[in-house]
Amino acid sequence: MKCVETIEVETPVAPPPNRVRLPMGLLGFEQIKDYVLLANPSEDPFAWLQVETNASLAFVVIDPFLVMPDYQPDIPEADAEFLGLQQPDEVRLFNIVTVHGPNRATVNLKGPIVINRRTHVGKQVIVANASEYSVQHPICVAETGA
Amino acid sequence: MLILSRKLGESIVIDGRIHVKIVRVDGEVVKVGIEAPSDVPVHRKEVYEEIQLSNQKAVTRQSSPLPKLAVVAKIKTPVNKVGLQKT
Repeated sequence: MKCVETIEVETPVAPPPNRVRLPMGLLGFEQIKDYVLLANPSEDPFAWLQVETNASLAFVVIDPFLVMPDYQPDIPEADAEFLGLQQPDEVRLFNIVTVHGPNRATVNLKGPIVINRRTHVGKQVIVANASEYSVQHPICVAETGA
Repeated sequence: MLILSRKLGESIVIDGRIHVKIVRVDGEVVKVGIEAPSDVPVHRKEVYEEIQLSNQKAVTRQSSPLPKLAVVAKIKTPVNKVGLQKT
């Protein structure tokens, strides 16, 4: 009788829950297409868009509406089509944050990462109204040592 | 750089699958029409480079702590005014 041995592992090897595929990569990083979206509650509202095959390489991202509630990015139709967006509620936006120092951060509002939450496919889109927004829009940070 | 002269209405073909057409000439502004497969991104150069540079500055190795976002971030519903909210 052949016994099938069950090997118990401490951490189950499951696929990352928040995988995002960017078929065109990010501007300047076109070769990297597979990412994982991670969030550490203590860093809320910032999240990490981490390169799947290189965990040490990541981008800080944020929901842009938390920085600018009336943000109105004009997503070109060709991009919406590329992402297969059918309903407005399928759209999820993340914008890349540049951390300049412990108290200074800016967010790129010209080129949001638009994700189809149904397919988990995304694209960094240059909004049609890019001239209205800044690539380095300041984020209000709390004073440290206050 | 390959330099070609085109008149209004004439086109250029790149790699047999990307078509660039001079659609309109209005003084100094030239309107260019581009037909390309959906897997070929096409952007205005200056905005592309601005975002590319921004992305390159933004990439991080997760070593430094992130700044704490001010109170405005905790508001989940839209507010009437956008601005600094001091704690």
